[in-house]
Amino acid sequence: MNFIRNLIHKADRSSMYVVLLSCAGIGIFLYLNKWSYFRLSTDEWVMVYTMLGAALILDYFTFQIPPKGNQQSMDSSVYLACIFMFGGAFSLSVLLPVSLILLIKDRKLAWWKHIVNFSIYSLMIAGAASVFTWTGGIPGALDGYNLLPYFAALAAYFIINTITLGMFFHFSTKDALQQMKRVFVTESLLVYLCTLILALVLTILVVHNGVLGLLLYLSLSILLSHAFKQLFVMYQSIEEKANTDQRTGLFNHSHFENMLESELAIARSQGTPLSLGLIDIDDFKKYNDRFGHLQGDSLLALLGDFLNRKTDGSNVTAFRYGGEEFTLLMPGMDLDQAYAFMNKLRKQLNDTPFEGVEVFPHGCLSFSAGVARYEVDMYNKSQLVDQADKALYYAKKQGKNNVHRHGSNDGMEHEIDLVQDVRDIEQQLNLFRYKDMDTFKHSKRVYKYALDLSELLELDNVEKRNFVLGALIHDIGKLEIPWSILNKKEKLTAEEWETIKGHVTWGKKMAMTNERFADLIPYIELHHERYDGAGYPYGLKGCEIPRLCRMLTVIDSFDAMTTERPYQETKNMGEAIKELQMCSGSQFDPELAELFIRYIQKRTVQQQMV
Amino acid sequence: MVYDGILLGLIVGLFRGGFRYGLHQFAALKLRGGWIFPLLLLAQFGIFFLQEKLAWVASINGYLFAAVYITGLAFLWLNRHYQGFMLIWIGVLLNFIVMAVNGGRMPVSIEASAVLGPYYVDMLREGGAISKHFMMDASTRLSFLGDIIPLSNPYPRTQVISIGDVVMNVGIFLFIQYMMVNRSSKAVQATETHQA
Repeated sequence: MNFIRNLIHKADRSSMYVVLLSCAGIGIFLYLNKWSYFRLSTDEWVMVYTMLGAALILDYFTFQIPPKGNQQSMDSSVYLACIFMFGGAFSLSVLLPVSLILLIKDRKLAWWKHIVNFSIYSLMIAGAASVFTWTGGIPGALDGYNLLPYFAALAAYFIINTITLGMFFHFSTKDALQQMKRVFVTESLLVYLCTLILALVLTILVVHNGVLGLLLYLSLSILLSHAFKQLFVMYQSIEEKANTDQRTGLFNHSHFENMLESELAIARSQGTPLSLGLIDIDDFKKYNDRFGHLQGDSLLALLGDFLNRKTDGSNVTAFRYGGEEFTLLMPGMDLDQAYAFMNKLRKQLNDTPFEGVEVFPHGCLSFSAGVARYEVDMYNKSQLVDQADKALYYAKKQGKNNVHRHGSNDGMEHEIDLVQDVRDIEQQLNLFRYKDMDTFKHSKRVYKYALDLSELLELDNVEKRNFVLGALIHDIGKLEIPWSILNKKEKLTAEEWETIKGHVTWGKKMAMTNERFADLIPYIELHHERYDGAGYPYGLKGCEIPRLCRMLTVIDSFDAMTTERPYQETKNMGEAIKELQMCSGSQFDPELAELFIRYIQKRTVQQQMV
Repeated sequence: MVYDGILLGLIVGLFRGGFRYGLHQFAALKLRGGWIFPLLLLAQFGIFFLQEKLAWVASINGYLFAAVYITGLAFLWLNRHYQGFMLIWIGVLLNFIVMAVNGGRMPVSIEASAVLGPYYVDMLREGGAISKHFMMDASTRLSFLGDIIPLSNPYPRTQVISIGDVVMNVGIFLFIQYMMVNRSSKAVQATETHQA
């Protein structure tokens, strides 16, 4: 007992199942067959040879059925026909030599799988034969008046096959249940009905015409198999054409979308890692302009061939994403492995000679690439592509010819973006330097306040970017206000006030010309709204105004109050704070005003200490 | 029986591959120890004629056939890398085994040889050392490897053959297919596109 217990502990579930299954199969075989080989007459031997040959030929000529290349061998029809004509023992006598020959012939398959296969067949044949006799079937010519035993035998054959194979897959691969249902119930039911009909046909033919009937049956099967194969080849070639990109020989964009979806599903259900690489050839446009599109195309073809060779035999699949962009789908690789793989590719491409590489800044072929990995919280496939794209953008910014991982030093990625955007906005603000220096300096100070406050408010990267840039750009519309009004020392007329108020709308229109500033529009348009709803341009109230816009209003007003202007009275810090407190709840959001006051007080104390 | 596989192989090969290519292939064929084959044929004929004239040749008949078979097996083994030769080898071996355990002669089933007509059955019953065949009975060993498969209508020839013969002929058939059908057509296309 101890020994058996140890064995069970050592073997994992699946191998235990394999051992049990094999023992059951071989046991059943020995029990039913009883070494019939010693007792067969020469006539029976001839029949064994004949059926053996038929089973082997049918095993060789499989039916390949599109779309997935399901191979269906019809050898089961031979075993069933043997049961119907001569009984289970005889069928088993055919099975053993077939299995032995396949064991010798097909050495790629592990030997224990051959044994499992043999055992499953033994069980199926034994089950079908006993059900056949139990329901009143008599071996011999087909009994057309009583078809029940034949269907019952087939049902037993089918059920035993489904259960044994299903359990095998369940134990050896984890997520089998769903797949099993699909494969066994929906797909093989039809095939099994086919098998039954073929077995009945074979029975009739052999009983009435002997070997000639068998030959007819085999010829028919071989021809059909040939026809199916042609169909399959045709299907494959069309599918290949539809899925590949002519220029590069890689898979195309639409196939990428399909495959990404299925790989994501696998990664999600099995918890395996999945990484995506996005490649962009550096300075391809420059090359194209210099040498023409024809030569540019051959560069694309070279890269296609390069990626094809480098990914051949690995899990990685390369696609042409469009233009000079390529994607690599890397199932089973985590971010670092994917990064290492891409970086190796990059180096190898650098070392690949090609005509005209001297026009490239690096003097060689190169690409920039972004790598991203699948995360559990991704709910659609475009997120993964987006992340890889962002990483690629960053890699380009770093001077090209490098690979960047998404999510590594996240802050830096944003810093780069922010600095670039700030520079762009500053260029526009520079116009103020000749028209209205005050607004220029005001914008810069508000920007600095916003930077400090975004720390206090603990904003995330996106919010921070928008808030800070919004603060910098918020008065851009003032560029449209005429000189006379802008620099007027006297009191403004009502009409002139209307012109001043117009700056929020003009600013919005200016920002709309640049897609990147789309997120900043609320700051430009709404920074003169008031908490009590008395502001302009819409008269929004309380929480109808976005929170960070309310914050900007506080900063904007505070800075306006404390700014020194010639011939005008300026409020000192204390007075300005009092003003803020007074207007808190009417003009300002009380909470944010309070927060800002605390910040100013703290800052003042720090400055005094210094 | 040997000729059936050759003939069938040639006919199917003609349909699939073409005569010209096949001839070309056979001209280029280089078998290892190719000189053994004609020598074996000569030896067989020699034994066949001599055993009627010289008694001592007849007495060692069994050993002579064994020698011929073993040389033939060795020849096939040397060329086993050709498609089909392994099957031919297995077929010949099966025949050799059953003859070896039955005193150098091939057992023939009476039931099966009924297709050959009463004359042949009578000849078998009388037996005799001259014939390469003898009648199968209860004492015959490994009778399932003997000549038990009757061939008759619709098969164009009437014969009784063994499983070894069948395996051997399948091997011959496959070998001729391998020689006559141009398998490289796909590969040639691929290199052409590569060059373009």
